[in-house]
Amino acid sequence: MTTDTERTRRFNELAEAYSADLYRYAMWISGNDALAKDLVQETFLRAWRALDSLKDVAAAKSWLITILRREFARTFERKVPPFTDFEKVVIVDNDELEPDESTERDLLRQGILKLDPKYRDPLLLQAIFGHSCAEISEQLGITKSAVMTQLFRAREKLKVQLQKDGVTGNVHELF
Amino acid sequence: MSMNFSEFKKLIGADPGNTDPETLRARKSSPEFEEAAIEAEVFEEKLNRALHIQPPADLLDQIKGISQQPVRKRNWVPLALAASLLVFVGAAGLVWKQSNTWDSVESYVADHYSHDGNKTAAKAIDYLSDQEISKILAKLDAKADQELAGRIKLIKFCPTPDGRGAHMVVSTDQGPVTIFYMPKTQVTDGEMVEFDQMHALLVSLEHGSAAIIGEQSQNVENLVTILRNSLKTGLVDV
Repeated sequence: MTTDTERTRRFNELAEAYSADLYRYAMWISGNDALAKDLVQETFLRAWRALDSLKDVAAAKSWLITILRREFARTFERKVPPFTDFEKVVIVDNDELEPDESTERDLLRQGILKLDPKYRDPLLLQAIFGHSCAEISEQLGITKSAVMTQLFRAREKLKVQLQKDGVTGNVHELF
Repeated sequence: MSMNFSEFKKLIGADPGNTDPETLRARKSSPEFEEAAIEAEVFEEKLNRALHIQPPADLLDQIKGISQQPVRKRNWVPLALAASLLVFVGAAGLVWKQSNTWDSVESYVADHYSHDGNKTAAKAIDYLSDQEISKILAKLDAKADQELAGRIKLIKFCPTPDGRGAHMVVSTDQGPVTIFYMPKTQVTDGEMVEFDQMHALLVSLEHGSAAIIGEQSQNVENLVTILRNSLKTGLVDV
């Protein structure tokens, strides 16, 4: 029988391993930092209650993503405010990027938020969680070839967006 | 059959980290393929940098705090006892309701709170799911936005002077406060009712009204804006 201590240990391990990525994912699908935080907390609350049903630790990541996606669909989807300005919702990064890199990153962020969810979702699952195309296919309930197409188109759309905003492969030309 | 350039670009465009032997072979097959692969890797690096957002510093600690909550475990003996008790409490509630025909909203609020206000507030729990909240409010053609829903610690149906309403306990920085939502009752907006060391502020809503009840030391006015903004009333389809 799983003791309470063991249960808490398992839960804390999941929190340490996945809370940051789940927050990032929640941020990108909701476009709102407060909602993202709520979503992640709600996800872990449900995970805590249902922890005994998680038999395979290897499935934990997909399990948590599924909880979060359901929670988002159920609770938050209709409440997401229209997104207008990324700077208003994202915590300012404390990294030391060159101005051109920083501009490019912000343009990409705006592009990601403008993506249709059908393109954004697989891209986030792949880039944030390192999901394979097969795992994304399972998670989203679409065929693997559809996943491949959507991933390709998502990246193409972002590249087009960058070019439209004046950022080409060599951003140094802008300055 | 070897991969052509268009197929290769689509493949690495969909999955830049692809280490499939066939893809690797194709990459090495010509400088054009190699250049496209490097371009995809550079873009991927930019994408990862753009997606990387630092989570709030307190998030992990708050999540770990969840494990301090007790896990509800099903135990059939207490459940059976609870079922018996529910029948009793339900019957008692019915008696209370039927024995009272309030001549004013003010007397209803005081009578209702004296009946079970303190007991209900004491039963409020730390966490109540949005599902539980929306299930009850939907039956009253209402719904609560997160700003209010996040504060609700207990919600149940209750009688009102004009039919069914909701009895809620919400958290505030001054402690729990009770709200009676009365979907079909009109009140004098802003009227304060005082009884038994408590005070209740009557608030008109778009449809119906509410009474915000707290101890006299509690500032119940603070909840008016939240209630008006977050409780959507008179919804047919919620």
